[in-house]
Amino acid sequence: MTTNPAAMKRRNFLRGTGVALGLPWLETFAADDSNPDPAPKRFLSVYHPDGVGLPVKEDPAWKDWSWFPRGGERNFELTKVLDVLEPLRKEITIYSGLSHPAARTVHGHSNADQYLTGAAIGGHGAYKNSISIDQVYAEQIGQFTRHSSLVMSTNGGIGGPRGAQTQSYNRSGRPVPALNHPKQIFDLLFVTSGKEAAAKLARSKSALDLLIANTRSLGRKLSRHDQETLEQYLDAVRDTEVKLEKARQWIDNPIPKVATSNLTLEAGPKEARLYFETMYELIYLSFLSDSTRVATFQLGRENGGGPHNLLSTAVGLGNAHALTHAVKKPKGWENLGTYNRYQAEEFGRFIQKLKDTKEPNGQGSILDNTFAMHGSASSSFHLSRNYPIISAGGKNLGFENGRYLKFGKGNEDNQAGAGIMSDSGWRGKVEVEELPLSKLFITVLQRLGVEASSFAGITGTLDRV
Amino acid sequence: MEATMNKFPTLSQLLLGRTLFCLLASTIFCSAQKSSPSGELPSLAEARRVGRANSALLTKKQSVTATNGTPSANLATFKKDIAPILTKTCVQCHGPKKAKGKFRIDTLDPNLIEGGDLDWWLEVFDALSNDEMPPEDADVNLTSAEIGKVTGWLGSEIQKASIKRRNEGGHSSFRRMARYEYDYALQDLLGLSYSLSGNLPPEAGSKNGFKNSSETLQMSAMQFEIYRETALKALEHTTVVGEHPKAVVYQLPNSDEASSALDRNQISKIHTLTQRTKKGQKPPEIVTFDQRNRSVKFNLSNHLPDQGTMRITLRAGRSTMKADEFASLRFIFSAHTSNNANFSEVISKRAIPVSGSVDDPQFIHLDIPLSEIQRNPFRNNEEKFPRRDEFLTIECQSKTRGKEPLNIFVDFIEISAPFFEQWPPKTHRDIFFESPKRNKEPEYAREVLTRFMERAWRRPVKANEVAPFVTLFMKYRPEFPTMEEAMLEVLATVLATPEFLYLTQENSSTISEAGLASRLSFFLWSSIPDKELRDLAKEGTLRDPTVLKAQITRMLADPRSARFSKHFVQQWLGLDGLNSVVHVTDSALMEAMQEEPIAFFKYVLDSNSSLMDFLHSDYAVLNERLAAHYQIRDVYGPQFRRVPIEPNTNRGGILTNAAILTMNSDGKDSHPLKRGIWMLERILHDPPPPAPPNVPEVDLTDPKILEMTLKERIVDHRNKPACLSCHAKIDPWGIAFENYDALGVYRTKIKNKPVDATSALFNKKELAGMDGLKRYLLAERQDQFARAMVHKMTAYALGRPLTFRDHAAIEGLTVQFRKKEDRLRDLIHLIIYSSIFNSK
Repeated sequence: MTTNPAAMKRRNFLRGTGVALGLPWLETFAADDSNPDPAPKRFLSVYHPDGVGLPVKEDPAWKDWSWFPRGGERNFELTKVLDVLEPLRKEITIYSGLSHPAARTVHGHSNADQYLTGAAIGGHGAYKNSISIDQVYAEQIGQFTRHSSLVMSTNGGIGGPRGAQTQSYNRSGRPVPALNHPKQIFDLLFVTSGKEAAAKLARSKSALDLLIANTRSLGRKLSRHDQETLEQYLDAVRDTEVKLEKARQWIDNPIPKVATSNLTLEAGPKEARLYFETMYELIYLSFLSDSTRVATFQLGRENGGGPHNLLSTAVGLGNAHALTHAVKKPKGWENLGTYNRYQAEEFGRFIQKLKDTKEPNGQGSILDNTFAMHGSASSSFHLSRNYPIISAGGKNLGFENGRYLKFGKGNEDNQAGAGIMSDSGWRGKVEVEELPLSKLFITVLQRLGVEASSFAGITGTLDRV
Repeated sequence: MEATMNKFPTLSQLLLGRTLFCLLASTIFCSAQKSSPSGELPSLAEARRVGRANSALLTKKQSVTATNGTPSANLATFKKDIAPILTKTCVQCHGPKKAKGKFRIDTLDPNLIEGGDLDWWLEVFDALSNDEMPPEDADVNLTSAEIGKVTGWLGSEIQKASIKRRNEGGHSSFRRMARYEYDYALQDLLGLSYSLSGNLPPEAGSKNGFKNSSETLQMSAMQFEIYRETALKALEHTTVVGEHPKAVVYQLPNSDEASSALDRNQISKIHTLTQRTKKGQKPPEIVTFDQRNRSVKFNLSNHLPDQGTMRITLRAGRSTMKADEFASLRFIFSAHTSNNANFSEVISKRAIPVSGSVDDPQFIHLDIPLSEIQRNPFRNNEEKFPRRDEFLTIECQSKTRGKEPLNIFVDFIEISAPFFEQWPPKTHRDIFFESPKRNKEPEYAREVLTRFMERAWRRPVKANEVAPFVTLFMKYRPEFPTMEEAMLEVLATVLATPEFLYLTQENSSTISEAGLASRLSFFLWSSIPDKELRDLAKEGTLRDPTVLKAQITRMLADPRSARFSKHFVQQWLGLDGLNSVVHVTDSALMEAMQEEPIAFFKYVLDSNSSLMDFLHSDYAVLNERLAAHYQIRDVYGPQFRRVPIEPNTNRGGILTNAAILTMNSDGKDSHPLKRGIWMLERILHDPPPPAPPNVPEVDLTDPKILEMTLKERIVDHRNKPACLSCHAKIDPWGIAFENYDALGVYRTKIKNKPVDATSALFNKKELAGMDGLKRYLLAERQDQFARAMVHKMTAYALGRPLTFRDHAAIEGLTVQFRKKEDRLRDLIHLIIYSSIFNSK
């Protein structure tokens, strides 16, 4: 193998961070003229259900356990919930006063579905979602990586309408199923699919053609209602065809080799910390190896149930969803805050790692080329307003961090909806002004290089970001 | 869009009673308490007898039967008899002056069949039948005769409305298999003995709790791809290519060659089983499990192949043969790759009982798929570190009474891999069978495909349906050295067709015989029909009553019917809830908890006992671990069996199962609210409405509240006006469970205060603890429970949510079921014979 000093250095560096690279796949990308910008731009969204703690000012817990920072844009002060991010202060931005207008009076339990889509999914009746921001970007950038996106959640699958277990929705508003087993994700990303991949793909193509023709003839025998059900099957086959087509383009590139030292691939949500860290590590490795540039990760589902309720055991607390209901119990705000603090801590650990890793094929760190957001579609108790959002990174994309950005009017101290403990809160009249989160999405998309002027019916970008 | 049976959200927030099919009016409302004027409570058996005698379903006449004609509303009776009663009694609170609960009765359209107020009338019907209206403190009263008139009229109008909607059609059971069904279908189709579907995403539960419900079974590209991968893998695991591979064998030193069933010519190498022994000590030729040595661990080094079946054979005998003692073995596979890096996995699904004696020892076989267990990932490395060895541990569990120890002697152990009973294996020959056309490829391919597709598609297939698959085979063929390998890819494609993956591909309103065969098998076996069912359907005789009856009997006797007990009970009772529980630390207890309700159901089913046994029984179905948990003596061994119990054990039925009580707790203590909701949803099929607006949380920072007991807190919370409506309906049910703690252990004290498990239902009926709850259910809610069960089992059998259209069918089935003395096995028959089961 020929060596040049730069490649040598890079390899040593990567080895130092626990990654062994099978060159020359990086060179392959460098030589790819169709990819206009050698430094990949990445997008990540981490979603946590159940919102955050917002006690009223008079409550003794307000000082320490209210989620939002205090103070101004630059001289903001983090409470105990987010103080774990203090060392990363210059790398993060915290937002207030943002939400999706269509969902402001929809119960928080229903709203994970629309966090990245902004769709008017409503609280009951017919259901229709629309494309999520990550998939908009994936549509444009997906061709340059082996996987157009990496969609993960603790619960896996797609969940049900208004009970999403994935944050990602495709162009037709259909959910993109999330993966939840670390082993399965690892295999998908880093285990080779065999030598005869090309022949295999060709065979698959013939099989899919047969299936589509065969299904059409079955469809003719069914009632109209059943045909609609069958249409979902056909969609699945067609989606698979699209994936095959893409996979065919990737065959000549060897799958990257990565070290597994920080991975506990058999971990499940019951081993909260290990599981959490392994999932983040998988995102890290997929970014580092440029296996994908788009990732979403949902920590469970709204309204409890399933594995995410166990994540709070990492900090010695029971049922995560119940924490939001127990804030009026002794140490209630503290417990909820402690769990949110833990989520921030894991996010921070991940951000730190991106910051500490030099961009393999570009300027600065991986973090500088990544816009990573962390948030929820409710703030206070089931209230679908004032989303608690943190973003990190993206310096090379034009994001200026180290700021607390307050948007909207009339809620500068984040007291609207604070301390509510009844459902009258989420139904209550919208009395303060908030800005559409989609405006932030448009800004993000534009800086990622997508020519977007509107998102979910909203136009315009967000000032000051 | 039609509302499903338990979903009328706006209504339910306003009104209380919500079951569609609640108690029909009974003119003789005789409570258990009333039946014994002395004040002494009747026994539970007596309450059950009285409750049955008073069943409204058993006493009423069937007034409306299913018909294809259009029923019309009986408005004359409404005008003459009903309107005056409602005007006199209800309108002052639910009329123009006041509209309590935002509800007016005087504006409802009395035409239930054509009018738009059916949902409201259902609420009225429930409130009256459950004795919830008029409220106790109202200054008006309804005589039982008046209630009877109103509910009698409403009942028949509701039934007519249901029949009308049923005749309009529109519902469908067309759905894909649920994950567990797919798993079994693959196993049964290919003769696979283990699960390969672990990669499929978990199913979301539907509103009615069932995972096989057509409304929730979605399909996605990921799902589809996993189906294809899984099918190909399963086919590769069940067929063979090339020569019989030679096996690696492990034996005890000086093993008795005559005992081995292996063909010497098929063995590549024999290794001596070695275990850790003290220096200078020879490995023993006989393994003894006694009071001190409970397990033996063998180092298999790294000789085991990556794929194939590992057959473990051993010959074991017991030193004593007392009937009430038991001994069993379990097998554990493990590796220690480096310090603090080890893992182990129990590879025997359940403990294997040792029943042979020393004089007449017993052979035990265990087959393990090596590719599906946790292996040492370093086993094929060149380097010796991390360690490459794999270990097999055999563990003995036994229970001895008295002085004479129960020891187990094992004098023969043989481990071989890959193991084949025959070559080629039966699973291979089922697909690639002998045929005169064996060597004529396209013809033989057509034969293979036709036979395979008929099994997978569960119906006869036409030549033009097979043709495209033969074409695909011909296209693939040049890429593979053998026809078998090319064929596997085509067969995997057959298993990705909707004809395999989807159920109820029917066009006419009555399902075909082939469709009936599938519906039967997915109901009772959670899987595809076998050859016998398919053949009967092909002949067109399956629907013959004698044949059908015999088939149901055969199917229920087949071991595959255990899947029905397991999956129906898990979904009916929501046993998934146990998976999120972290306060059960003893895995044997957890396993036993999960099994108990299933074992109880299976006992009731097998003995064709009454459904009412679920409410209370004078027996429990237990194993040793659970009996110990319940402080019931003299139950030995891991297997579940019927155990007669005394009242002082405070068990019987399923309400007191540890699983139910544990999953409906908060990890530290009981959770009356969860338990109340569980009762309403799972037993009474009367799910409570979602929390209404303006619900304040209990403020536990208030010192006054902190001093209260849990029950006092609940009462305090309930007395707030916004909370009253829901909690009055939920809490009393849950409070009745208060004598059972977070693990379901019976208690008489909480924090040194006596347990107060007495509560009053919204209709003022008092429930004095579990005993009182059971007595009340048996005396007054038998119809409701029977109806709930008929509803739930029918929904499960059909794989779709039931809607109002199905009301009349369920009502009819429930009456028939009650007449058959609520016998569970009879219910299976009734459902299968019903027209709803035979409809699309």
